[in-house]
Amino acid sequence: MSPKPHLRLAAPLPDLVPGGPVVFNELFARYGGYVARLASRLLGSGDTEVDDVVQDVFLLASRRLPTIVDLIQARGWLATVTTRLVARRLRRRRFRRLFMASRRGQDVPAPGATPEQRALLRRLYEVLESLPTADRVAWSLRYLQGEPLDIVAATCRCSLATAKRRVSAAKKVIDEVFGDA
Amino acid sequence: MRDQMWTSLGEKIEPAWAPEREAAVRAAIARRSTRRRAVVRAAVAVASTGMLVVGGFALVRWHSAVPVAAPPGSSASTVPNPPAPGGPDEAETVTVTRLSADTVLAPLPDRDGRGFALHAGGARFSVRHDPDRPFIVAAGDVTIEDLGTTFSVRYLGADRLKIAVENGLVRVRAVGTDTEVPAGASLEVPVSPAVEDPGPKSRPTTASAASWRPLAERGQYEEARRALRKAGPSAVRDDTADLLLAADAARLSGHPEEAVPYLERVLRGHARDPRAGLAAFTLGRVLLDELGRPSEAVEAFARVRSSGGPLAEDALAREVEALARAGDVTRSREQALLYRRLYPNGRRAKAVSRFGGLD
Repeated sequence: MSPKPHLRLAAPLPDLVPGGPVVFNELFARYGGYVARLASRLLGSGDTEVDDVVQDVFLLASRRLPTIVDLIQARGWLATVTTRLVARRLRRRRFRRLFMASRRGQDVPAPGATPEQRALLRRLYEVLESLPTADRVAWSLRYLQGEPLDIVAATCRCSLATAKRRVSAAKKVIDEVFGDA
Repeated sequence: MRDQMWTSLGEKIEPAWAPEREAAVRAAIARRSTRRRAVVRAAVAVASTGMLVVGGFALVRWHSAVPVAAPPGSSASTVPNPPAPGGPDEAETVTVTRLSADTVLAPLPDRDGRGFALHAGGARFSVRHDPDRPFIVAAGDVTIEDLGTTFSVRYLGADRLKIAVENGLVRVRAVGTDTEVPAGASLEVPVSPAVEDPGPKSRPTTASAASWRPLAERGQYEEARRALRKAGPSAVRDDTADLLLAADAARLSGHPEEAVPYLERVLRGHARDPRAGLAAFTLGRVLLDELGRPSEAVEAFARVRSSGGPLAEDALAREVEALARAGDVTRSREQALLYRRLYPNGRRAKAVSRFGGLD
């Protein structure tokens, strides 16, 4: 039986007033880094692609500002949009790979990691590239981002059972590959 | 333990989100947003322009479908004929081109685009022949019927009409005779002005063309005749019922001479119609009783008699009378004897004996 991951309490956000009007600059300043981090973990690629995702996400957010109720709910919405856009990019990447048009072997941006950890991350993303996109995204949200399963299900817009199944399918492959790690 | 390892490794994945990078991304978003707004504006402008162009084109087509004189300065313009019930392919089987700026052309009512009245100028017609729905052009009292062809009709003056055939064959009905004009040939015929000068202001409309019929059917022949004269000759369809009704409106309103052309058109164009005998008998009566032209009446009655039918006995009796009035005593007596032989107890025996000189 595998041990449960850490459950972390979110930091209090005293300055976020529910129901307040959402301003784009404030939204970007508060969540730009979060979206970049999430995109980076899901993609496992360098800065250029992450910046493209951040642009896409906030460009969409700028058009949907009237529908975003407050800054607290904006975080979940941004996570969902980021996940959807990243999944689309990953599918395109898989399609391009069919024609040998995809760049591989990019370094994952992990400035605080040791060389061994970087090598492990590089190997991990090679394995993730071979997984179905939906399974990969669900597993990455669960373990690399550390989100609980219900949040994974909500972010992937699927049922809890489906989220569990996807995470489990990816975990099985990863455990098999890294069994002796 | 391994799951915790992945989570701690994931926490180490941190893109360098420095303020400079944040500013660069924000500027890129602003640029893309501006570009997107410009693209949307351009797309809206293009779509609006396209809709305006399509709308304007539809409006122009709609206007050009209404029969009007060609605008001064344009020597030729194409008049799309209205869609036929058979579908768009059939609608395209007739191409009409005005040949001069003063051309006045109007579609004949109830012919589904298969007939036009030419009031002035000239026009070229390219027609696919349909034996079930012959294409006709009415110019004054001249009727041109296609037999599969391209032809043009042009007024040479107020009283002359020129028909030139490019391909195929047309049949021209003028001054009571039919002439077939082959490809490469042309024909000039005299043309009588229409019953009423169809100037642009008095151009027949569908409403006025249709209004004479209910009047005639209600027995208001004088009003029907007036409406018919106002609408012009194109208001009468080229079918037996309409021609007979128009003839009734003319003769029963006290203008028998105007009934003759309608009745003759029935005999020329619809000889196989069951009502052709009635038309011939009526023509004979009009010629004999009302116009005092017994010689012509003899021909009409003889036609009815030779075709048999319920009117044959009466036609023979009236033929005897017409011959007697025309002064042909010999033939009158011969036909009277024929009557007596065919109808020994005929209801007109007494009158036949009197006119045939058998008493």
